[in-house]
Amino acid sequence: MNRYRYLLQKTGWALLTILFVLVLNFFLFRILPGDPARALTRDPRMKAEAREILRVRFGLDKPVINCFETLTPLKLGDCRVNPLDTQFFIYIKNLLQGELGISYKTNRPVADILAERLWNTVLLIGAGQILSIVVGVAFGVFAAWKARTAIDYGALITGLVAWSLPTFWLGIILLFWGSTQGFPIGGKATPGTGAYPLLYQIGDVANHMILPTLTYIIVYMGEYMLVMRSSLLDVLAEDYILTAKAKGLSAFQILKDHAMKNAMLPIVTLIAINLGFTVAGAVQIEAVFSWPGLGGAIFEAVESRDYPLLQGTFLLIAVSVILANLIADLTYSYLDPRVQTE
Amino acid sequence: MAIQELELKPAVPASPLSGFWNVFRKNRLAIAGLAMLVVIVIAAIFADVIAPYDPRSYAGIGAGDIYQPPSAQHWFGTDDAGKDVFSGFIYGARNSLIVGFFAAFISIFIGGTFGIIAGFYGGRIETFLMRFTDTMLVIPDLPLIVIFVALTEPSLWNIILVIGLLGWTTTARIVRSQTLAVKSRKFVLRARAIGAGNRHIIVHHILPLVMPILVVNAILVISLAILSESTLAFLGLSDPLAISWGQMLNFAFGRGAMSVGAWWALVAPGFGIVWVVLALTLLGNGLEQVLNPRLEAHHLMPGQPTVQKEAGEVPARGAFVKTPVILDVQNLSVEYINEGKPPARAVQNVSFQLHEGEMMGLVGESGCGKTTLMLAVNRLLPAAGQIVGGKALFNGIDLTTASDEELADLRWSGISIIFQGAMNALNPVRTVGDQIAEAIRKHMPIENEAALDSRVTELLELVGISAEHKNHYPHQYSGGMRQRAMIAMALSCSPQVVIADEPTTALDVMIQAQILELLDDLRRKLGLAVIFVTHDLGVVAEMCDTVLVMYGGMTAEYADVDTIYNQPRHPYTQELLKAFPDLSNPEKRLSSIPGYPPKLDALPPGCRFAPRCPLAFDRCKTELPRLHELGSGHVVGCHLLERP
Repeated sequence: MNRYRYLLQKTGWALLTILFVLVLNFFLFRILPGDPARALTRDPRMKAEAREILRVRFGLDKPVINCFETLTPLKLGDCRVNPLDTQFFIYIKNLLQGELGISYKTNRPVADILAERLWNTVLLIGAGQILSIVVGVAFGVFAAWKARTAIDYGALITGLVAWSLPTFWLGIILLFWGSTQGFPIGGKATPGTGAYPLLYQIGDVANHMILPTLTYIIVYMGEYMLVMRSSLLDVLAEDYILTAKAKGLSAFQILKDHAMKNAMLPIVTLIAINLGFTVAGAVQIEAVFSWPGLGGAIFEAVESRDYPLLQGTFLLIAVSVILANLIADLTYSYLDPRVQTE
Repeated sequence: MAIQELELKPAVPASPLSGFWNVFRKNRLAIAGLAMLVVIVIAAIFADVIAPYDPRSYAGIGAGDIYQPPSAQHWFGTDDAGKDVFSGFIYGARNSLIVGFFAAFISIFIGGTFGIIAGFYGGRIETFLMRFTDTMLVIPDLPLIVIFVALTEPSLWNIILVIGLLGWTTTARIVRSQTLAVKSRKFVLRARAIGAGNRHIIVHHILPLVMPILVVNAILVISLAILSESTLAFLGLSDPLAISWGQMLNFAFGRGAMSVGAWWALVAPGFGIVWVVLALTLLGNGLEQVLNPRLEAHHLMPGQPTVQKEAGEVPARGAFVKTPVILDVQNLSVEYINEGKPPARAVQNVSFQLHEGEMMGLVGESGCGKTTLMLAVNRLLPAAGQIVGGKALFNGIDLTTASDEELADLRWSGISIIFQGAMNALNPVRTVGDQIAEAIRKHMPIENEAALDSRVTELLELVGISAEHKNHYPHQYSGGMRQRAMIAMALSCSPQVVIADEPTTALDVMIQAQILELLDDLRRKLGLAVIFVTHDLGVVAEMCDTVLVMYGGMTAEYADVDTIYNQPRHPYTQELLKAFPDLSNPEKRLSSIPGYPPKLDALPPGCRFAPRCPLAFDRCKTELPRLHELGSGHVVGCHLLERP
């Protein structure tokens, strides 16, 4: 199989998964109680005209999809309707136009709220991921190199303990400690600093990021360290490492030129698999530190039962994770020459 | 490869369970995890007895009880409603464990079923199930769990159901690959051959072998379920009637514990979560190590220092070749350190002399110390290996005591090695040309990249590989090509000595012949001294000048090739020769030697070969034979030579 077919296959698969998420997201909210669109039209504060506009926008007078009039309560309907004239396809059409509904709580379009918040989450997860990978990999390499020594044993126990910490609790503890040390107690920036010089604002955001990022690093570093350690231990026991040693290369050269690239492969897979869990971490960290990101949006949406916001956030998170996964897969194919011909 | 020759496998335990326990109890972390888990399970079961207060009752609580620090009355202080945190902590354990165990049970059941069905039946069912699993694995599960619970009612059983229904993906993947591995084992195929039905095979043959992995995975899934539950509760999605640690944290965090400095209300519940999850993690980690033991030894660990534990006898040596000696190995002894047991004596008092242009055959069955001897000469022994006596002089420099820098310079440019199994000996993620160039860059003066490149091309062409394959990866080569590439790499720094360690195992006969011919041709052309490690006496007769026969880590016989073939004196050599076809006497019956070479950690007290020797007498069973020199360098280690 050549590289292009591999790329094509992976991309096709990602698109299929996104389609699955779209379908899931639609039917989940239609089947379970709390259909956001329908609930909105029952809001007594709403005027009749506004209600009519919503009915048309979400196609609430149309069948859910061919053969199904409504899902709760389940009522079968005509199968010969035009599929484009059903709620499901109207939902898809709305999505393609960036229409994600209107937040119950703030009455603002969900798409606008998410657009603001996406970058905050990307900033937090990005900084956290990069630092935890760097720190975790470095410790993992060191532990593997010094296998069976006190350093290795200590690293192993630290990694297992870090892995066992609930993210939100660690956040709370750090926040508790940080508040006594003069760290900001939450949010992304100090209120009222919007007109300050850019450099000051950047410093302010960075200051707000210290504790959330530290929480992130501690929780995720452990896993990267454990995986790097065991992966490198496997690689260092391989015959080609003995060959490299027999060639007269130094331990450092062997690590750098022969062991690291092979040992990093499981880390790339782990980064991809972890992206889903990363989101879970972000939800908790953002909830604790009132960080205005997507995770925080989920927390707030759950608190105020703001279903359109919940639905939209889930969709955006799921699609982002699927795309990030695709990128990880493609990176893997560049790192491991064996993938192209397997 | 080095490990392959070592027979250090533990004795078969009396029963699998007791064997399991014996290994498990040595893992201190796992024992600690088990103890921690037992404590919390007992606390959860006897919560009604242990907890001093009823956490659901507000009786007797006044406004002054809110956020009271820890005291004799309230060990962990009181919470935002004035209730006892310690009692909540104990009851919280119960609900956390209930959610963890039941949710994990659902996940394991679904994941296990999917995994076994996919692995066992294969085909379209497998494709469908695994694609579905991959899809579910990619979708972030916490937001999905949150949505499900938020849209329904956050009762304890709803939470269990949702966590259980979404947490099976990793289990399905692990179980599938284990089922695939188990499916093709002999006894499963045999059961199928005698007509056992699919259901019978799954229940009686597959399931027992998948079970251990499933148990380890279940422990991980339980801990993840507990973490999920506490996260949900912290986000405000918990059963109002069931106290849980996450819920306590949600209340404390949301109701001002932080601002009044009530650290106890925040620390205690979190400590509970960490306790359970850490207990499960330690236990799972320990079980995994028992099921899947790894030699945590690798090639970059510092080697054992060379010591001179025993004074050797006067080195017995052959002198059959007239050219100067390059490699002079005297009385070399190697041991493998074996934790808790006496060291395994892998090589004992072996001596030989390799001359310029000489080809020496090193023969003996697997496990006789051939590879260990060669690795010891280059100081490439695994971390447990130690040189405990003797010298290895290369052009007068003792390799056993040379500094690391001296050794690094001599490796490859002085002595290079053609490893067996070139697939594993070449790095899979670097091109073949790059790996050859690396050695040259390290040891040879090169003017520029173009010169280096043409040297690599020249080397590859020398072994019959055209230049276009230079930038290919090892997996793109055929088995024979890889072995040729390995030879080209071994020759890259113009070494004086090349060690060929069974260079043709795992190749088919035609390719074997080609490789051997190439090797013989090259060593004549380049004037190399070669040590040829092999089982194949036929090849030795054809190519070698001298032969060293090893048995049980010791020299059995050492002589020039004619003497070995025409006047072998050691019974082991004689038996080995009987096991090979003789071209001059094709009618002769071949016979194999019954039995196996001794295990290195259970060597017989006397002559290593005595238990299998057809000519052994009493002395052989109690006393190690001395090496006898029979003139013209013919050395034999056998008591028979002292018998009239």
